[in-house]
Amino acid sequence: MDSKEVTLLKKALERQKKARKQAERILEEKSKELYDVTHHLQEANSKLENLLSEKTSELDGVFINIIDPYVVMDLQFNVINMNSSAKEFLGYDHTREKLNLAKLVHKDFVAYTTRSFQSLIEVGTLKNYRAKILAKNGTENWVQINSSLIYNSARKPIAAQGIIRDITQEMEIKQLLSEQKRQLDIIVENSPLGIVLTVNGKIVKANHTFAKLLGYTETELKQLHVKDISAPEDIPVSQELMVKMNNGELDKFSIIKRYFKKDSGFLLARTLVSAVKDDTGKVDYQVALIEDITKEREAEERLKNEREKYSNIIANMNLGLIEVDNEDIIQLVNQSFCKMSGFDHNDLIGKKASDILSVRNKNIIVEKQEERIAGKSDSYEIEVLNKQGELRHWLISGAPRYDDTKNVVGSIGIHLDITDQKQLELQKEKLLEELEKSNEGLQEYAHIVSHDLKSPLRSISALASWLTEDYHDKIDDNGKFNLRQIQEKIEGMDRLIDGILKYSSIKDTTLDNTLVDVNEIIAEIREIIFVPQNVNIIIMNPLPKIKVDRTKIYQLFQNLISNAVVNIEREDGLVKISSKENKSHWEFSVKDNGIGIAKEYHEKIFKVFQSIGHNERSTGIGLSIVKKIVDLYHGKIWLESEVGQGTTFYFSLKK
Amino acid sequence: MNILLIEDDTIEVMKLQRTVSKLQMKHNIVKASNGEEALKYLNEASILPDIILLDLNMPRMSGIEFLGILKEHNTFKYLPTIILTTSQNRADLLKCYRIGIAGYVIKPLKYEDYQTKLQKVLEYWDINELVKANTN
Repeated sequence: MDSKEVTLLKKALERQKKARKQAERILEEKSKELYDVTHHLQEANSKLENLLSEKTSELDGVFINIIDPYVVMDLQFNVINMNSSAKEFLGYDHTREKLNLAKLVHKDFVAYTTRSFQSLIEVGTLKNYRAKILAKNGTENWVQINSSLIYNSARKPIAAQGIIRDITQEMEIKQLLSEQKRQLDIIVENSPLGIVLTVNGKIVKANHTFAKLLGYTETELKQLHVKDISAPEDIPVSQELMVKMNNGELDKFSIIKRYFKKDSGFLLARTLVSAVKDDTGKVDYQVALIEDITKEREAEERLKNEREKYSNIIANMNLGLIEVDNEDIIQLVNQSFCKMSGFDHNDLIGKKASDILSVRNKNIIVEKQEERIAGKSDSYEIEVLNKQGELRHWLISGAPRYDDTKNVVGSIGIHLDITDQKQLELQKEKLLEELEKSNEGLQEYAHIVSHDLKSPLRSISALASWLTEDYHDKIDDNGKFNLRQIQEKIEGMDRLIDGILKYSSIKDTTLDNTLVDVNEIIAEIREIIFVPQNVNIIIMNPLPKIKVDRTKIYQLFQNLISNAVVNIEREDGLVKISSKENKSHWEFSVKDNGIGIAKEYHEKIFKVFQSIGHNERSTGIGLSIVKKIVDLYHGKIWLESEVGQGTTFYFSLKK
Repeated sequence: MNILLIEDDTIEVMKLQRTVSKLQMKHNIVKASNGEEALKYLNEASILPDIILLDLNMPRMSGIEFLGILKEHNTFKYLPTIILTTSQNRADLLKCYRIGIAGYVIKPLKYEDYQTKLQKVLEYWDINELVKANTN
């Protein structure tokens, strides 16, 4: 190698040296700058490191072993660090994605979280923060967080750390418990039973029902001892039982006792007392269930009385009772049935009823038995021979017998011996028949008698008139007078006989009721009877059409009008006929302005043969006939009269 | 007219006879004291009466019994029969009309009234066309 070359190389090297030195200087300068910065950073870092390491070391020891999720976040809720447990629980990894804890809070708890965080900032620690959060997989979890602030060396909070506890299950249990407690409370408070918790007889808790039963408030009851509200006579017994329970001889006992009500009176209750024991078997509490049986008792009492009453009735009644099963086998009979049938109790029980009892018409029994099985009840009559062979009539009221499940298991029959009634009935029928016959006979008899009485009267009358006629010249005035007297007496007697006949023939059995116009009747009577010139008969209002026997009503009016007409002496004689209607009756009146009837005769005149008339023609039967007809129509007859002024006869006829 | 009066009472017979003779009526009165006697007469008579006046209440055979027999008879049933009785028994009246009568006259109490009534009855039947039946 030449020197030139060497020189060149030396120069190049020199140049390079220079350049390197320059570069080195620049590097040195930059390095210095870098150092400065690094130093500065180092300073800051070391401070932070100090703090962190200080804290970390402090906490690492604590949390290293914590399996609970552990999270460090800045004050904007961004996660700075979290342990694996936290990653697992929350489903997030802060190293992979940014995680802001605020976003995990359930919306219901946002406000609460804000408040809690506020308190954390102020106090530095937060215990028992409880909220629902949403994990990444969407599940809701109850968490409890205890957290504290992390400060920098300048004691300025820069972050927060917290331990999360999953309390989802706990919360669920708690909720369940509270739900159950609530349910239990509902049961206790709504129980129809009074429920009382006592410690050695001192009431510590009572439900509403018990308070209400006694009329105390629940608070008042808590001041009381069981003895305070118990009837003195019940105390010894319950105390004795209580002692046994405390000794462990009894776990529970039931007693019926009386509790005084707050105001007055007492409550009869069935009380069930149970012991509640602690782990050692010592009795902690007594629970008493109190059932108000006042009404039950009353009902029982009533039922008992009722039952007694009915069994008394059954035992003492004159009605025979028999129960048979579906095969007609006698299951039960009472004393009366034995008496009725003539058989002994033992003769009947277990026997087939239709075999042992000689019923005349067995078909009816079979028929009725089928009806019972079909569930029907009714009553019927049978003829039966009793043990002595006498024919008896029984009225039976039969009904099916049921068992508890409503199946027909037989029938029950109540028997009434109606033989006597039956005989009476037959007797009555016979009597009625006889009566009718005898009535007919009497009627016939009345006609025959009247005929036989009237015939000779006619003969006498004829003979007397022939005497008068044939011996007119030979009889003096006295004789002629006597003959006239004979004729008059005969006429009187004839009328009497007619009257009696009419009176005797008024019977309700012969009534032939048709619709009769009373106006027409009056018009006819006016035509028929003798009305003197001085008397006017006036109908005051249109008379009704009524349903009556025409002949009878004719007789009725004829008698009254004839009486009225005959008894008028004055010149302006007036007979007024009027009627009015009321609910059940027609009421008629016949008013005259005749001589009147003295008070003492007002009753008497309606009796047969009671004539008060001065009139020779009066038989005393007319008003009796009137009364009898009015009676037939369930009416009344009465009169108002003043002597010299006139008489008004009133009578009513049932519609 | 030939009148058969069936009547047990003598005075009644006298009443009719007196009425007929007094009014100078030309009637021939035959009397029978009861139904039996009347039937016997009717069966034996050569000329039947124009009318029969019949009392109801009689011994042995009552008027109604007699009437029943009469109306069952082939020939006698045409004889106009007028009941002459004191009985106002409605049952009798209905029975008689049912069996068949030509009249029902109640004997009045007074003889004068009787006379008037009977005069009318007889006059009425006198102007009637009569059966004039023969026994054969």
